[in-house]
Amino acid sequence: MHIVVCMKQVPRDNSVKINADLTINADGIEQIMNLFDEYAVEEALQWNEKLGGKVTILSIGPEDWKEQIRRALAMGATDSLLLSDPAFTKLDTFGAARVAAAAIKKLGDVDLVLCGRNSTDDETGAFAPALARLLGWAQLTYVGKVVSLESGKIVAERHLEEVVETVEASLPAVATVVKGINEPRYPSLLRIRKVAKVEIPTWSAADLGLSAADLTPALNLVNRVPPPPRPKGEVIEGKDAAEKVARLVDKLMEAQVI
Amino acid sequence: MANEIWVFIERTAHGDMAGVSKELLGKARELADANGMKVGALILGAGVGDLANTAFSYGADTAYVVDDGTLAQYTTDGYVGAAAALAKKYQPALILTGASFQMRDFSAALAAELDTGVAADSTNVAIENGVVSAVRSSHGGNVINTLTFAPGRTAVVSVRKQSFPEPQASPGRSGAVVTEAMPSVPMRAKVVSVAPKQGAVNLSDAAIIVSGGRGLGSPENYYKLIPPLAEAVGGAYGASRAIVDAGWVPYEHQVGQTGKTVSPKLYMAVGISGAIQHLAGMRSSRTIVAINKDPDAPIFRVATYGVVGDANEIVPLLTEEIKKRTGK
Ligand SMILES: Cc1cc2nc3c(=O)[nH]c(=O)nc-3n(C[C@H](O)[C@H](O)[C@@H](O)COP(=O)(O)OP(=O)(O)OC[C@H]3O[C@@H](n4cnc5c(N)ncnc54)[C@H](O)[C@@H]3O)c2cc1C
Ligand SMILES: Cc1cc2nc3c(=O)[nH]c(=O)nc-3n(C[C@H](O)[C@H](O)[C@H](O)COP(=O)(O)OP(=O)(O)OC[C@H]3O[C@@H](n4cnc5c(N)ncnc54)[C@H](O)[C@@H]3O)c2cc1C
Repeated sequence: MHIVVCMKQVPRDNSVKINADLTINADGIEQIMNLFDEYAVEEALQWNEKLGGKVTILSIGPEDWKEQIRRALAMGATDSLLLSDPAFTKLDTFGAARVAAAAIKKLGDVDLVLCGRNSTDDETGAFAPALARLLGWAQLTYVGKVVSLESGKIVAERHLEEVVETVEASLPAVATVVKGINEPRYPSLLRIRKVAKVEIPTWSAADLGLSAADLTPALNLVNRVPPPPRPKGEVIEGKDAAEKVARLVDKLMEAQVI
Repeated sequence: MANEIWVFIERTAHGDMAGVSKELLGKARELADANGMKVGALILGAGVGDLANTAFSYGADTAYVVDDGTLAQYTTDGYVGAAAALAKKYQPALILTGASFQMRDFSAALAAELDTGVAADSTNVAIENGVVSAVRSSHGGNVINTLTFAPGRTAVVSVRKQSFPEPQASPGRSGAVVTEAMPSVPMRAKVVSVAPKQGAVNLSDAAIIVSGGRGLGSPENYYKLIPPLAEAVGGAYGASRAIVDAGWVPYEHQVGQTGKTVSPKLYMAVGISGAIQHLAGMRSSRTIVAINKDPDAPIFRVATYGVVGDANEIVPLLTEEIKKRTGK
């Protein structure tokens, strides 16, 4: 079984700034593996331990994403692939999916693609569905449990807001996972050292046979602003807890929120 | 592009039209009237009954219907296949959907099928000089993006519920019904079973949420203080990641960047410091109450009302006072 995990690198927290050209400035914020992608990596590793084969970490991003790719390799992934090109810097989500689809087609032998349910920065959750449609594969989003995985077939639970839907789909397929599907492992120090020098193959737009037209965004970003500041709040004073509580309840009743 | 705005009609578990679909029909009507356009209701399912008339009463001019057994349950292939065939034939300028998990699955796949983009989980949408734009937040609510769609492509926008008011229904308002057959599409996945989620809490729907954090000291203390306060105000209870990861409270209750994003009319944070990843999930709540013993806790920066003090002392008094004053 060849499982590809799509992995995005994101800022640890979102206290980002907005540059004059509307790009995001995350300078000084530590970069981490998108949280949901850690679960995707772990899920791939667990099935790989049962079924054998390969787990390939795939990222569409700049050179410095290699750091998180290495983290996934240290967790136990067998292979990796960075898709990087100056032409990729202006990709929208669907452009990114087109790049990933081209690479997965080129790999040729992929049975399952695992992604996170969404990134914690752009948060569109649209990458995996777009990828599935481009590949013409089944799509299973919000998976909280992979019940079975065998050649030709996946059975998985989709954890929706109020129901759990069990879905059976033919392979190859694209699935996105939610937090709690497993307990991601920490990479061992030994493995961290072992993968420190591993060469990470990198493919460019030309390697993938992609033209500028393939990468044209369908969406244009025309404005980006911080959220409006919250109205100034007030600290409820009082001589003791009981007085503070009484005043708080007054305010809440005046505002008709309780 | 046809001069139409379509709304995907979602149903509740009872088969009625979902609130978000009514909100979207209202918004579509407003945009259509301002731009000389028409409103289409996209109705997919098996046995869709009277939904077309309901859609007309909320502002639709035309109902595009595929009523077929293969659509009895949501599957990406079935629903996207039917919607894409209709959209390719009738070329709406804009398709609006809700932003539940199922709709996020649908709207993204549909957009890909139509070779366009999706503005996901948007909170506003506009049309100016024929150009569709959408507003959506990203980066945990710290960035508000305005996106425009390339002209000549159908725009797909999924919209967070309660972004628009629900319009008044005008019973008796009528429209045209266009019925199409289910196209033949590959069905790569099938639903084997659907079960209610164990201990499901739909925090995103709650009007009031009371959340607790590590400041409560122990799971016993959390359950002693937080659910009773939530009950007194008729709300649901939430949690910070710190105590979800510590195993005090199931993940379902987590609010924040890697949990739920909520915007209730009242959010109370008890013993929560207000880390940026927590704020990401709740900062758009209408009224925020913070109870924390540290006057410098960052949560006070977003709080409408702050109470500095020990939760163990404040919360039981607050629960009692609310019960007394609201007569519950
Ligand atoms: C105008 C514009 C400019 C942009 N410029 C940049 C830029 O300069 N640099 C940049 O990084 N992004 C940029 N983006 C965003 C980028 O194209 C998207 O982040 C895209 O990579 C995925 O979108 P998402 O994060 O919303 O994915 P989601 O659908 O929310 O992510 C879900 C899952 O998809 C997978 N995934 C998502 N993105 C990637 C990826 N890049 N590699 C591997 N797996 C992935 C992961 O498994 C992830 O958990 C830009 C977007 C726009 C609209
Ligand atoms: C990638 C990533 C994603 C994350 N996602 C999330 C997320 O989705 N949601 C989330 O919540 N966090 C998230 N976090 C974690 C976040 O950074 C914080 O660690 C977490 O929110 C802290 O939880 P807390 O406020 O309960 O605990 P603490 O930060 O420990 O705060 C406890 C607070 O309780 C107060 N206190 C102590 N005793 C009392 C008392 N007796 N009475 C009243 N107050 C008292 C203290 O003054 C303090 O302010 C994420 C972090 C990362 C890196």
